Amino acid sequence: MQTSTTVKRRPRVSASKRREWLTGYLFVLPSALIIGVFGLFPIAYAVYMSLHRWRVRKGAFVGLQNYESIFGDWWGALAFFGGLLMILGAHWLWTDAFRREEGTVPFVGRLLGALALLASGVSVSLGWRLMTAEGDRRFLAGLTRTVYYGFTAVPVQIALALVIATLLFQKLRGQELFRMLYFLPYVTPAVAAAAVFRSIFSPRPERPANTVLEWLGLPPQQWLFETRPVSRILFGGLLDRLGIELTGFWAGPSLALVTVIIFGVWTYTGYNAVIFLAGLGNIPKQLYEAAAIDGATRVQQFRHITVPLLSPVTFYLTVLGFIGTFQAFTHIYVMRSPATRDAIDTASVVIFDTFYGLNNFSLAAAQSVVLFLIILILTLMQNRFFGRRVVGV
Amino acid sequence: MSDLAAPTVAAEAQRDARAAREPYEFRLSHVPAYLALIVGAVISMSPFLYMVSTSLMTLGETINRRLLPRTPQWVNYRTAWSEADFALYFRNSVIITAVVIAGVLVTCTLAGYAFARIEFPGRDAIFMVLLATLMIPGTVTFLPNLLMVRGQVIPWGSWMNTLPALTVPFMSTAFIIFLFRQFFMTIPQELYDAARIDGAGHLRFLTSVVLPMSKPVVMTATLLTFVNSWNEFLWPLLVTTTPRWRPLGVGLYTFISEAGPETHLLMAGAVITILPVLLVYFLTQKQFTEGIATSGLKG
Repeated sequence: MQTSTTVKRRPRVSASKRREWLTGYLFVLPSALIIGVFGLFPIAYAVYMSLHRWRVRKGAFVGLQNYESIFGDWWGALAFFGGLLMILGAHWLWTDAFRREEGTVPFVGRLLGALALLASGVSVSLGWRLMTAEGDRRFLAGLTRTVYYGFTAVPVQIALALVIATLLFQKLRGQELFRMLYFLPYVTPAVAAAAVFRSIFSPRPERPANTVLEWLGLPPQQWLFETRPVSRILFGGLLDRLGIELTGFWAGPSLALVTVIIFGVWTYTGYNAVIFLAGLGNIPKQLYEAAAIDGATRVQQFRHITVPLLSPVTFYLTVLGFIGTFQAFTHIYVMRSPATRDAIDTASVVIFDTFYGLNNFSLAAAQSVVLFLIILILTLMQNRFFGRRVVGV
Repeated sequence: MSDLAAPTVAAEAQRDARAAREPYEFRLSHVPAYLALIVGAVISMSPFLYMVSTSLMTLGETINRRLLPRTPQWVNYRTAWSEADFALYFRNSVIITAVVIAGVLVTCTLAGYAFARIEFPGRDAIFMVLLATLMIPGTVTFLPNLLMVRGQVIPWGSWMNTLPALTVPFMSTAFIIFLFRQFFMTIPQELYDAARIDGAGHLRFLTSVVLPMSKPVVMTATLLTFVNSWNEFLWPLLVTTTPRWRPLGVGLYTFISEAGPETHLLMAGAVITILPVLLVYFLTQKQFTEGIATSGLKG
């Protein structure tokens, strides 16, 4: 430090300031190098790989050919992704585009918003149909399973966690014990937990899942080996009598995939509950006191104080949940077996297989870029829908 | 309502203080809540109970729908331990995790400190770029990273089946940097000014003043890194083609097919894999859950 005062004769930036800058850069350097090389550079390199023919060794530049083999039909892809983005536009029409100064939205805004939402729905399903006709069915089916997984597991685990957190919050004895037990699945190594689940949800009649069914007087199930959709197993007879045949997306997840979803819920509910519990602790008690004086019931307090003030936490957990389920890999990979066939192969498992099983590196890279884009759009959507309704703390 | 607020707050504070001192008072209205929580906890714990119970059974007992073993077969653990070379995997996991934790603590305290307390051009932009990496799925990065470790991207030779391949990519993460930055920003500037007068630079200030004050956040960072590193699966599966540096998780995965129908041995292997994490968790669970809750909230 002493030397820095003697050599400050540079015109613009003093030597001591330069030293300060240099220290800053040096401190950041190790982290920036590691995250840059193993976190950021791979994205650019994945895009680069996806533009070549690349099976184990690099081949010729092929432009967008790998993407074409995923989407099959460019118009389909355009309709699908355009439809997704249009949902954002519909939301904007519904809430903001025609908003009057006093904050109300006229009928025309609501109407246009609803129409745009309808149009985007048609566009998405049309695009999807075009894509599945010609495109990479393995990957697209994997994406469907990922969507089932995310859109069932995330709401269920958040709802359960909210219930657990509210119950725990009322100063019960043993709060810490319960919190510890509920949190345990989150820290458990997924490989080991999935190995245990494989055994619990085995199709053999003496295993726990089927034993419980027997106690309830229900027939044993194939669980992880069951590739038929749950709707078929539960309501097959009824659907046949009504002459309804659910196919494709509307048939819903298979029982094997539901088992994977149960695993996801089991892992993350406790984690979400712990975060909710901390969020509940941050809500000022005076609000409830004041509401009680004004005659608000417990339910009203929950609806008008707890839910809005927890919304930043809910938002955070939803974003985290979707990013987590869309890239989930370990437990699904471990629960796979030959009898499961492709019933639980979500997009990330398909990507791994394209690389590991088929040795098609460039296609795997293209698939991973597509998955990344979808996660990005999904996060943008959540930000648009919930991000601003969130009450700042 | 504003004139009501002040006495309410005071009364609330008094009541809170009393509630903290008073012993727990049982109320009938709590019974449904307890019931729901106990049922939930039993469901949540049942995989663990099944795992431990089955790991102590004989092969015959595992296929005979028994809840508990007649006499605990502790020998299963010894059999599993020697059959799958768990000793080697265990040692590997311990070394890998220790190296990753050391690396993360060094790189992330430095970076977190710089982002919190040193001013330099481009600081906030660099920070935002690093934070954005939290959104990137591992499924996008694993393939290029694997080629890199094989030495096919940057010609630094192959790192396959070496300790650096398993540790270096994890030696810094944006989330832990963020944790440290948030904590370091709360340290008063006066402390630094005083240290400067004593002739200390940033590094001295960080190591001798800031870090001793930062035990809770260092603890949280250590525990988070421990769990993440111990539970890592996809990456070690890819870069360990021989058992030399294979960690427990991958070892257990290969054991699934080796154990085949011998569920009791597989469950013993699962217990061996889970036990270290559970031990650390039970010993530190208060800091652990609280650290995660508060750090999670600020994210």
